[in-house]
Amino acid sequence: MGESSTMATLLNAVLWLPVVGAALLIALRGNERAVRTTTVTVLTVQFVLTAVLYAAFDGQIAGLQFGTVIPWIAQWGVSYRIGLDGVNVLLVLLTGFLGPLVVLGAWRSIEKQVTLFHVMVLLLQFAMMGAFLAQDLFLFYVFWEAMLIPMFLIIGIWGGARRSYATVKFVLYTAFGSILMLLGVIALVQVLQQQSGTASFAFADLYTTKMPVQLQVLLLSGFALSFAIKVPMVPLHTWLPDAHVEAPTAGSVILAGVLLKMGTYGFMKLGFPLFPDATRLFTPVLMTLSVISIVYGACLALVQTDIKKIIAYSSISHLGYVMLGLLSLELVGIQGAIVQMVSHGLVAGGLFLLVGMIYERCHTRELSAYGGLARLVPVFGVFFVIFMLASVGLPTTSGFTGEFMSLLGAFSAAWPQHLDGNNLPLVLAIVAVSGVVLGALYMLRLALTFLFGPVRAPHQPFTDLTGREVGILSALVVAIFALGLFPDSALRKTEGAAKQYQQLVSTSRVPADAR
Amino acid sequence: MPGNLTLTAMLPEHFLLSGIVLLIIAEIARKGSKLGLWIGLAAVIAAATSAGWLAANDLSSQPFPWHFSVTPAVLTAKALLLALAVPVVLMSRTEFSDGEFNILLLSSLYGLCLLPSADSLLVLFLGLELMAMPVYALILLAFRRPESAESALKYLVLSGAASATFLLGVSLLYGSTGTLTVNAFAPLITSSDLMARAAVVCVLLALFLKAAVVPFHMWAPDTYEGASVPVTAYMATLTKGAVLLAAVQLFGNASLADPSARYVMELMAALPLVSIVWGNLTAMRQTSFRRMIAYSSIAHAGYLFYAFLGTPQGRWQAVLFYIVAYSAANLLAFAMMPVHEDDAARDRLDTLDGLFHRDPMAASLIAVAMLSLAGLPPFPGFTAKFVIFRSVVAAGFSTYALLGLLGSFLGLFFYLRVIQRMFMRESTVSAAVPPRAITGVGFARLAGVLCLAATLLLTILPGWML
Repeated sequence: MGESSTMATLLNAVLWLPVVGAALLIALRGNERAVRTTTVTVLTVQFVLTAVLYAAFDGQIAGLQFGTVIPWIAQWGVSYRIGLDGVNVLLVLLTGFLGPLVVLGAWRSIEKQVTLFHVMVLLLQFAMMGAFLAQDLFLFYVFWEAMLIPMFLIIGIWGGARRSYATVKFVLYTAFGSILMLLGVIALVQVLQQQSGTASFAFADLYTTKMPVQLQVLLLSGFALSFAIKVPMVPLHTWLPDAHVEAPTAGSVILAGVLLKMGTYGFMKLGFPLFPDATRLFTPVLMTLSVISIVYGACLALVQTDIKKIIAYSSISHLGYVMLGLLSLELVGIQGAIVQMVSHGLVAGGLFLLVGMIYERCHTRELSAYGGLARLVPVFGVFFVIFMLASVGLPTTSGFTGEFMSLLGAFSAAWPQHLDGNNLPLVLAIVAVSGVVLGALYMLRLALTFLFGPVRAPHQPFTDLTGREVGILSALVVAIFALGLFPDSALRKTEGAAKQYQQLVSTSRVPADAR
Repeated sequence: MPGNLTLTAMLPEHFLLSGIVLLIIAEIARKGSKLGLWIGLAAVIAAATSAGWLAANDLSSQPFPWHFSVTPAVLTAKALLLALAVPVVLMSRTEFSDGEFNILLLSSLYGLCLLPSADSLLVLFLGLELMAMPVYALILLAFRRPESAESALKYLVLSGAASATFLLGVSLLYGSTGTLTVNAFAPLITSSDLMARAAVVCVLLALFLKAAVVPFHMWAPDTYEGASVPVTAYMATLTKGAVLLAAVQLFGNASLADPSARYVMELMAALPLVSIVWGNLTAMRQTSFRRMIAYSSIAHAGYLFYAFLGTPQGRWQAVLFYIVAYSAANLLAFAMMPVHEDDAARDRLDTLDGLFHRDPMAASLIAVAMLSLAGLPPFPGFTAKFVIFRSVVAAGFSTYALLGLLGSFLGLFFYLRVIQRMFMRESTVSAAVPPRAITGVGFARLAGVLCLAATLLLTILPGWML
């Protein structure tokens, strides 16, 4: 008991450290160097704590671990309820891992309003951790929305030329989804209150709510729209390229690394398990959209001339696999989806960092302005090739594990249905595989023009990667190979939760009298 | 001990009255004294504290049976409203140096205190008038530009029209029930009698006019623009809040989900909804800060009236919470507005451009205020909307809840634009006036910090008020 309460304290520390850090930064009054070092220190401590928690986490247990429950708005049954489970444990680790790297990556590129930038990064880290850790719907919604504000400022202040447009588009898109989700939250809690007589926002209680299918469909639509915008799924993806391209490197890394996972995490934690019957109705539509996202995202990536846009569209494509894995309801697919979420965070984060590094030197993101960089900056070239191959899904990298398992899940779910005469899942799974080929195509095209061929780059000569940059990228590379070569640690941690998710989504929750 | 009862139950009002008397004496004794601010401040704080103290002691009494009564809930509301008047008094220092402002403000507050306590419609009317009359003068007090006269006149005429409509409703109510008690209003809502219905509609329209709900909102932007900052802040927050609290008292336990209350329901759903949408849409186009806040307050009046669609249980708390959260945010923004010698220049939205570079604290606090007004979590503006929309869903009006929420989405844009101006643009003010050069800036800052403290308190512990 003593140990688990220590762990619960650590978990609270993980959540609240960034807020303490932000307060410290304001107290530092503009000493830029101190601001940067403090932020990195705070985030590194946070990462170490998440790693300790990850090590102590037991993946065979389905429920919450290291939980804290404190009544917050007692009259409504809202409480401050956080904890780790198999769904969020890897994402918390990922968020903690990317935190210090993001700040280190922005060491030179952020020059104006340094304190404000780091305060915003810390607050964003706080909100993201909070959204992953929250086990109370009200708390989750608060964190979910709170993420918008720091991101709005990060893109809007330190972004590129069209930052103003991009950031407003980002906020309006995501806030629109949130509004509908809010109504869903209110209605869901209302239904639960009518059924059980007590008001509660705890996920565990909400998972027991029984609802007729029509109501489930309505509520899931609200939640799904909000999450699908965040993922983003085609056709709700148009904010993403703008936001990614205009955001500063740090913003892009956080956006690709963590924020996009909020959408798939939301589906996995809330959308599907809360409304299992509606999920079954929605599965063909959502699956089709996922596959369209995979293929369409890849096709768009194929024709872009802006390097950041290529990676942005590749994100859309890669997150399609996550959705596919989640919807398969096969254990391997679900676990693959979780691995793919983490893997994409590492790989896309790394790619955005690389692009940021070259942008700092050459001040353009036009693909045609570059060529033969492998000869010019060999260390950069090596890292670029590694990340590119991980993105393509080369075996031994994490990208392979994630995509392979997700597709495996999709196929093993599709085959019995095919035997029953329903061919749609199988067709979709086969089409999804073509995304892997397209992925290889656009990444190789990027690498080919970028790294090889005649040497061409603006603002020559420029230096190869510095020690700081090599350090950041090496950390990511280690993580990518660790997850690719030894995925079983991660899989063991998520097993209990994946089984619970599978069971929640497979069990009908229509009340007996409405069936 | 009826004498004592009058003394204690009306303690907040007595403090306000003594403040007024003292201020008048001080004005006669030493014209233009600096004492005005301190007396006004002391009176408001004493009144708020006494109201809070009485509420904490669970005082329930009727010093004037059937006219004026207090309950702990009413006293809490008074304490909160009076506490919100403290920042108003503090920020008045930048605009007014004489005692007149405080005399008029305290008189208006006296009327404001009568509203939630009123048991008869006559006292209610008295409260409404006493609250509005000093405001006409307050608007004119800042006679720095010709618009002020126009503003005051508009407010006078339209507020007069509201009063007349209210009286018409009251007389119809008297005709149909033979009584003037506030309790008589709620049963009329479900009555099928034509006269009763006419009475309900008249009273309702008067309340809409007072609270600036579309289509009775036209006075608000002009009046807010013409008045000076503290007066606008006062009108946009406290007077609106008091009208709403009076409306909650009037509606009592009436539920609009009742089929025979359908005509009221439609009125109470449609006009506030239009208010939300129109207020938020029009606010986008404004170039004057006060006009923008006026349209935003029109939208907020819509959310507040939405509370009446909801279940009667907890309506009082929901409205009170909303008023406090909304007022704290609004007053915060007004208090931190950059000061400028020229009132018209102070009002332009582009004075906010690049404010963060000049004055990071003011910009950050205004940003908090805007986010709270936009209803983004974790700020209390969100919790306030959540309470109201939750009760609307609980009463079965999910469609209206959806439409209202979509309307609130429209508002996001212009609040964000203010933040964009402050953080993402370069400063256009060439010769920035050093903030300390104008008297009273310190007081305005203090007001801002107080409002921020209130906002943060409601962020962390919203349950404290619910």
